[in-house]
Amino acid sequence: MAITTQVRPQRWDQPFGLFMTDLDVDRLLTFPEISAIEESKFPSHCPLRGILKNDARIVKYSAGDIVIREGDYGNSAFLVLDGSLKVVLFPGLPSEMLGRQTIRKKTFWQALKQLWSRSEIPEARDVKHLGLHALVRESEDLGAAHVFLQDIPAVLDKNKTASLSKGALFGELAALGRTPRTSTIFAESDIELLEIRWQGLREFRKYDQGWRRLIDQRYRANALNAHLRATSIFSHLDDKDLQEVADATLFETYGKFDWHLTYNKLQSQNKIHGIKDEPIIANQGDYSDGILLVRAGFARVSIDRGNGQQTLTYLGTGDFYGADELFRAWQGEPNVGMRVTITALGYAEMLRVPSKIVEKHLFAYWSSGREGFRQATSQSSLESRRLQDFIDRTLTDGALMEWAVEERFINGTQAMLINLDRCVRCDDCVSACASAHDGNPRFIRHGKTFENWMVANACMHCADPVCMIGCPTGAIHRSMSGGMVIINDDTCIGCETCANSCPYSNIRMVPIRENGGNFITDPQNQKPILKATKCDLCADQISGPACVFACPHDAMKRVDFRGTELDENTAGI
Amino acid sequence: MKIQQGFSLARVWAHMGLALLLFVVTWIWTVQIDKTLGFSVIASGSILFGVLVFLALFNARKRLPFLPLAPSFIWFQLHTVGGFLALFLFWLHVSATGEKGLYGQILTVLFYITSFSGVVGLVIEKVYPRQLTCSGGEIIYERIPTEIAEIRDEVESLVLKSTDETGSSTLAEHYLETLRWYFQKPRFFISNIFGSYQSQHWVRQQCMILERFLNEKEREYLDKVYALAEKKRKIDFQYALQTLLKTWLLVHVPLAAAVMAMATWHLILILVFFI
Repeated sequence: MAITTQVRPQRWDQPFGLFMTDLDVDRLLTFPEISAIEESKFPSHCPLRGILKNDARIVKYSAGDIVIREGDYGNSAFLVLDGSLKVVLFPGLPSEMLGRQTIRKKTFWQALKQLWSRSEIPEARDVKHLGLHALVRESEDLGAAHVFLQDIPAVLDKNKTASLSKGALFGELAALGRTPRTSTIFAESDIELLEIRWQGLREFRKYDQGWRRLIDQRYRANALNAHLRATSIFSHLDDKDLQEVADATLFETYGKFDWHLTYNKLQSQNKIHGIKDEPIIANQGDYSDGILLVRAGFARVSIDRGNGQQTLTYLGTGDFYGADELFRAWQGEPNVGMRVTITALGYAEMLRVPSKIVEKHLFAYWSSGREGFRQATSQSSLESRRLQDFIDRTLTDGALMEWAVEERFINGTQAMLINLDRCVRCDDCVSACASAHDGNPRFIRHGKTFENWMVANACMHCADPVCMIGCPTGAIHRSMSGGMVIINDDTCIGCETCANSCPYSNIRMVPIRENGGNFITDPQNQKPILKATKCDLCADQISGPACVFACPHDAMKRVDFRGTELDENTAGI
Repeated sequence: MKIQQGFSLARVWAHMGLALLLFVVTWIWTVQIDKTLGFSVIASGSILFGVLVFLALFNARKRLPFLPLAPSFIWFQLHTVGGFLALFLFWLHVSATGEKGLYGQILTVLFYITSFSGVVGLVIEKVYPRQLTCSGGEIIYERIPTEIAEIRDEVESLVLKSTDETGSSTLAEHYLETLRWYFQKPRFFISNIFGSYQSQHWVRQQCMILERFLNEKEREYLDKVYALAEKKRKIDFQYALQTLLKTWLLVHVPLAAAVMAMATWHLILILVFFI
């Protein structure tokens, strides 16, 4: 029998920039921010030159082009090589100017008008109206497109801005932390930037002290204090104490930042073995050395059961774990170990507040007065009780949560959950969706099932929307008003990045047509123009999600798994 | 957020109870009208017609999912209550008028058939979803022909491979004589609708009949064919139940439309010649 062989795939088989040459790398090494990096500190399998050639690319923007936009998700940071940029300060630019869709609810009459005004042709677009790419222009980089601002002087007049010039680094916190960009930055003049994808940035931070210091300092200065302040157990601290906590806090990352890119494929090949594949953040029985806070991503909380692990719940951004164990140990209880195992689900960025700092600023406060002690006791016992509730659950009671975690449905904030015991398969939901969306339903009434529950293939409006990473025009974005993930049809260039990134296959590319029924084609290659489509929760419909509204048997709900009474105890521990 | 668990019969009884209560109120009212020498038949007829119009509105509501006209499941519940109420009111109305004419008799028959189809629909909508879930093999209805074709292709390639590898045509002959019929399209429709085990029995029987004529290598192929036959059986079950779930409305809605049309004409005649 012939043996099929394949060269083992290597990390840099697919470089970030297709046209980076050794000459470009030589040139980059003349810039002070890069030349200051000690090449010798990098290991032979991951040399600095390799990172620059494969994990970075030189990109050019014209004056007015938006480089990053507030609210977008990105996986790269930028170093200014030439030119100047403007950062738009609070309150930022209006959505329309950023190429985003402004959602306006239809009035009753506009809603009614849909009955006779909608096209019989699915996915028909009004060709006359097509200012399709009014806000998008092609870039010099192959296949790329940029959203641009049309009137820079007016933008500068009406908004407070700050300048970024040669040598400035920006975008690194959102890239490493998987958090939305906090401001919009656009090119003031024609500029040249070095875009570094997160993998390269991670190596810079890992092997170069200067970059590490810079990135960590900026994180501590810009985001950490706000995160700690928002965490209930540290809310009582004044600025000075909070700063001390922030200074001592350790950053840890677990799992693969881009887990979503391979998740579907591996799962279909049965190569995902659940908890066994997940990086361990804390192990059951180990001594607890601090409170763990989730900064980004998700973590599974489980305990040993028989020869396996039983999932109790999960932690998401803003959740924390470990105060109870530490508190009991601090009170003198002997041999207090972690009651649970915590593992990263795909990717998790954690903050670890060391026990000494917790004792000084939290437990000391708790035991300093009656109020504090009462708070401590209730906080500790509440945590303990919640955890015990999870542990006491039968395997059957916890099975749905186990499944939801295993399938990563916990990422969804609006998962379409269908009760198959009630669903009569009438497809009224599908028809209603089509009626509200250009004659084409934005979901498939099919999906993974567990007992009598089905999570249908509909956009779940994820807490961690990986589909938004890499959208070149930011057409897919999170609505500032409702929090749902929506696609601006006008700025979608049909590149399929979002559809390929969605780990749940909930985004579909569709060819668009003109009202007569003919496909709208690209004049260059005569291929149909594609648009990404997905559930938008009927953001512009007054009735709300038409699918739920149309179900005659109350079989469908849009759910956040954490908030359902299927598992009401999953509110965090 | 509360997520509804499976259906319970209690809701159906509650709907019937509410309908009965409304009927009793109407009945008492008509009795009062009779006592004052009024025309109670006009009152019961008017209310009945109003209820019929309301029942028909549910279909219109389904075509307007984007209007905030209350969620469909509320409409469905009211439709169920209204349906039972119409049944009771019709009895009251007809027993008062004592329908004797052909038109009235046709309307009566149509009304009862419509009501019967509605009750049947209600029952299967309550019973079948659970059965579909328990049977496994959840599938989109429109994909069933493709799925069956794929299974058939798989079975046929297995049979050919078996013939090639073992040099025996026993399995292939049995397939052509018997099993091919089964894999051609959905089968055992009626028995599936009534939840019988006939298809399961048939598949097992056909495989058992063949087994003693096969050697070990052929049996391995037969096992694979059997597994695919079982998969097809589940799809057949889904097909039968989903077909009924989808098609009962094709009986109920046209009949209801006919009832509405005849009732409207009946009303016009009453208004023109009686009042």
